[in-house]
Amino acid sequence: MPPTITKLKQESVIVQLLLLITAIALYLSTFKQGFTDAEAAQSPMFFPRIILMLWIVLNIIGLIQSVRHSNVTNPIASWWRILLVIAVTCVYVNLIGSEGFFLPSMVFALICLPLFGIRNGVLIVLFAVAVPGVLVLLFNHMLGMPLPTSRFTHYF
Amino acid sequence: MLSALPEAISILLSLEGILVLMLGTSLGIVLGAMPGIGSTVAVAIVLPFTLTMSQAPAVMLLLAVYAGSVYGGSIAAILINTPGTPQSAATCLDGYPMAKRGQAGLALGWATVASVCGGLVSAVVLIFAAPQLAAFALEFGPIETFALILLGMTCIVSVSTGSLIKGLMAGMLGIFLSTVGGDPILGEMRFTFGNWQLFAGFNLLAVVIGVFALSEVFIRASAPISNVSELVTFSGIELPRWSMWRGRLRNLGKSVLIGNVIGVLPGTGAATAAFISYAEGRRSSPNRAGFGDGEPDGIVSSEAANNAVTGGALVPTMALGIPGDAITAVMLATLTLHGITPGPNLVQENPTLIAAIFAGFFIINLLLLPLGMALARVAAPVLRIREGFMMSAIVILCALGIYFVRGNPFDLLVMGCAGFIGFLLRRQGFPMAPLVIGMVLGPTLELTLRQGLILTDGNFLAFFTDSPIAFVLAIAALLALMIPIVRNFRTSKKD
Amino acid sequence: MFKKIATVSLGCLLAVSSAGAQDFPERPLNLIAPFNAGGGTDLLLRGLAPHFAEAIGGDVFVSNMAGGSGTVAASALQGQRPDGYQMAYMSVTVSTIQPQIKNVPYGIDSWTPICSVAASPTMLFVNNDSPFQNMDDVVSAVKEKPGEYVFGSSGPGAITHLTMVSAFAGLGIIDDMKHLPFQGSGPAIKELTAGNIQFFGDTELLMKRGDFRPLMVFNKERVESFPDVPTAAEVGIEPPLNELYLWGGLFAPAGVDADVTAKLEAACEAAIASDGFQEFAANSGTVLNYRGAAEFDAFYREQYEANAALIEAAGL
Repeated sequence: MPPTITKLKQESVIVQLLLLITAIALYLSTFKQGFTDAEAAQSPMFFPRIILMLWIVLNIIGLIQSVRHSNVTNPIASWWRILLVIAVTCVYVNLIGSEGFFLPSMVFALICLPLFGIRNGVLIVLFAVAVPGVLVLLFNHMLGMPLPTSRFTHYF
Repeated sequence: MLSALPEAISILLSLEGILVLMLGTSLGIVLGAMPGIGSTVAVAIVLPFTLTMSQAPAVMLLLAVYAGSVYGGSIAAILINTPGTPQSAATCLDGYPMAKRGQAGLALGWATVASVCGGLVSAVVLIFAAPQLAAFALEFGPIETFALILLGMTCIVSVSTGSLIKGLMAGMLGIFLSTVGGDPILGEMRFTFGNWQLFAGFNLLAVVIGVFALSEVFIRASAPISNVSELVTFSGIELPRWSMWRGRLRNLGKSVLIGNVIGVLPGTGAATAAFISYAEGRRSSPNRAGFGDGEPDGIVSSEAANNAVTGGALVPTMALGIPGDAITAVMLATLTLHGITPGPNLVQENPTLIAAIFAGFFIINLLLLPLGMALARVAAPVLRIREGFMMSAIVILCALGIYFVRGNPFDLLVMGCAGFIGFLLRRQGFPMAPLVIGMVLGPTLELTLRQGLILTDGNFLAFFTDSPIAFVLAIAALLALMIPIVRNFRTSKKD
Repeated sequence: MFKKIATVSLGCLLAVSSAGAQDFPERPLNLIAPFNAGGGTDLLLRGLAPHFAEAIGGDVFVSNMAGGSGTVAASALQGQRPDGYQMAYMSVTVSTIQPQIKNVPYGIDSWTPICSVAASPTMLFVNNDSPFQNMDDVVSAVKEKPGEYVFGSSGPGAITHLTMVSAFAGLGIIDDMKHLPFQGSGPAIKELTAGNIQFFGDTELLMKRGDFRPLMVFNKERVESFPDVPTAAEVGIEPPLNELYLWGGLFAPAGVDADVTAKLEAACEAAIASDGFQEFAANSGTVLNYRGAAEFDAFYREQYEANAALIEAAGL
C-alpha cells in the first residue's frame, strides 16, 4: 500500500472513531442529567436514546467497513492553506457578534483572497472594502435591518 | 369565490399590481439565488414595506418574494452547489453534477420548467379545490402525520449516494441535532449542558448552510488553486426541447402531485416534499439509473415538488386560517394587521381579496419563466469571476444570511462548526442530504410520536389499527425502505 | 480609511463620555422582538416603532432575536449595558414564567420595566359543535370518564398551557385529563377543529380564528364582546388562578438612569396615545393597556409571584 493511501485510510478510521466516541459520550450523558419521572415513552430522553443507539450501531458497522476497505478520499493540496481557511472562517464568524459585521468581514477577505491565489493587491483591497461596505450601507442604513456594529461607532 | 375572479384580476392588472408582482418576483429570485440567503431573509427584507401598503398588494408582494426565492434557491444549488434553503438541497444532488458536465444552462432550464409547472398546477388546484383540500388536511392528526413523516424518513435511503451506512449515520446525526434544546412535551432542556444559547436548539438553516455552502468552500480550498476563471460554463438558461420530455412527463406529473398534497398538510413543508418526490423519482422513473450523476428527472422531481408546495401551503392558510409553513404564517399576520381575521370564514367575507391572492399566485408563477431567464443572463458574468472572489463572497453572504434568520450571533458559530464537520464528513463520503432530512423531519417525528402515545395511552400498535391513513402510509414506508435494498441486493448478486 | 475610523471612533468616545440624560437619544434606539419577523409581537413592535421614534425625537429600529420561547433574546439583553438604547418587548411568559422554569441567566431583578403596551385576558374555548355549553358540563363529563378528555396547548409553559392549568386545576379535575402540547397555537387550533383535542385557551383574537365557543374568560369582569360568557371567578375558580392576561411591555436591562427611564416612559405613553398607533391597534385587534414605569414595575413583580403558584400547579 502506498503511503498516501495509508494516510487517507487512517483519516477515515479516525473520523469514524471520533464520531463513535461522541455518540457514546452523548449516550452516557443521558443518564447523568436529572429529569422528572414520566412514563418511559414520555421521558425527555426516550427519543434521543433510540437515535443515539442507532447511531452507535451504524457507526460500529461503518468503522469496521473503513478498517477493511480503503476509501477513496481526495488528497489535500496544501494542509496549511486549508487549515488557515478553516481557522480564519471560524474566527471570523465568531467575531461578528462582538466586533460588528464590517471590520471582521474586511479582515476576513484580506486574508482569504490571497489564500485562494489572488495576487492583485488593488483588487483585494477593493473587494474587502466594497463588498462588506455595500452590505452594511444597504442593510443598516437603507433597509433598517441592522447588522451588528463595532464597538467604535453605530454606523458600521 | 370564482365570481369575484374578474374583479380580482382587474386589481392585479392595475399599474401597482403589475409593478408589485414583477418587482417582488425579481427580488425573490435574486435573493434566493444568493448563497446563504433564503426565503426567510427575503421575506424579512420586504416585510417593513408591506406595512404601508394596502391589503392585496401587501400579501401579493410577500407571495411574489416567497415564490421567487424558492425558485431562485435552485440557481445557487445547481451552479455552485450551495443551496440557500433546505428545500433546494435535493436539487443539488443532480443539478450540480449536470452543471459540472458543462450543461449548467440546460440543468437550470429543467429546473425552471419544472418549477413553473409545479407552481401553475398548484395555483389552479388552489383556485378550484381549496375547501375540499382543507377538509382533507383536517384528517391528518398527530398519528397520521407521524406515519407520513416516517415515510419521509425512508428518503434517507434513496438519497444516500455512495454508502448506505454513511447515509443512515448522517440521518441519525441530523435527527440527534434536532433533539438539542427544549423537550417538546415537558419543556425540559436536553443536551444543553447549562448553556442558555442552546435552549433554542441548533438552527436548521445555520446547520444546512454550514454543511452545504461553507463546507463547499472548504473543499475547494483543499483542492489545488484553479487558475481557470470560470467556475462553470454558463451563459444563460437553455430550455429543454419537447423531444427531451419523452418519458419524463409522468415523473413531472407525479412530482407536482406530491408537492401539492404535502403542501396542503400543515407542518410538513417544501423540503419534505422535495425529498419525498426525489425518492419517488429514484424508485419509479425510467431514468432512475442516472440519479445522482446529473439526471434531469432528479432536478424535475425536486423542483416541481418544492414549487408546488408554495400553492399547497396556501390552502390551509386561506381555507382554515391555519398557516401551512413559516412564510404563510407571516402572510396571515400581515392580513391581521389590515383588519382581516384569518379563519374559516375568510373566503366568504373577503372573496375579492382571496381571489386576487390566488390569481396573483398564478401570475407570479407565469412570471418565473421570463424573469428567471432574464435574470440568469444578467447574472451569468458574475460566475466568471475568479474562484477566490466567489468563495469569499459566499462566506460573507452566508454569515449575513444566517445572522438575519434569528438575529443571534451564536448561530454564526454553529454555522462555522457545521461547515468544518461537514467538510470532514464529506471528505469521507458521508452524503449531507440525509443529515438535512433528519434535521427537518426529526422534531416532527418525535413530537407526533409522543403526541400519538398520549392519545392512545402509550399503545404504539393502536396508531395503525385505529387510523387507516396511518396504516397505508406505514405500509408505503415499509415498501419504500425495502424496495431499494432488495434491488440493491439483486444487482450486486448479478455482478 | 483607518484614519477615518480613528476619527469617528474618537468622536464617539468623546460623545459617550459627555453624554447626559438631557441629550438622550444620540443614536438610534433598538426595540428587540424576541420572536421571528412577521409574528404577532414583531408586527406590534413594527407598528409602534415609528410613533415611538416621533415621540422620542430620534431613530428607532426593530430587530428580531428568536428562539427558546423568547428566552434567548431576554438572556442576551440582560447582559447588555443599561444605557436605555436597547429594549425588548417581553410578554408575561418571557419575563415571569420562563425564568422560573428554566435555568436562564435572568430573573425578577434583571430589568428596568419601561411601560406596558398590551394586555388581553385569555379565554377557554371549545369547538362550536361540542356538547359542552358551560363549565359544569365539562366538570361532570370529565368526572364521568376520567382520562378521556384532552386539552391542548401551544407548548409547555406557554400562556395557553397555563390557561388550561388554571381552569382545570382550579376546578380540581386536571388529574383526570390529558395534556397535548403543540408547537404554536396554529396547529392546536387545527386539532381543536378536527376534534383531536376538546379544549384550548388563548386570547380573543386567536379564538376568532375558528368556529369556536368560549366557556369562560380569565378576566376581572365579563368582556364587552361576550357578555354571556362567565368569568373564571364566577365559575368557581379561586385566586390567584382566576385571572390570566397575555400582557407585554418594554423592558430595558436593570440599572437604567432614572432620567432616561422617564424619557422612555413619556415617549412610550405618547406613542401609544397617538392616533396612528390607536388605529393600528384597532385594525389588528390588539387590546392596549398602558402602564407607566413605576406602575408596570409593581404589576410585573406581583405577576411574577402570582405565576409561581400556577407553575406549581402545572407541574413544570
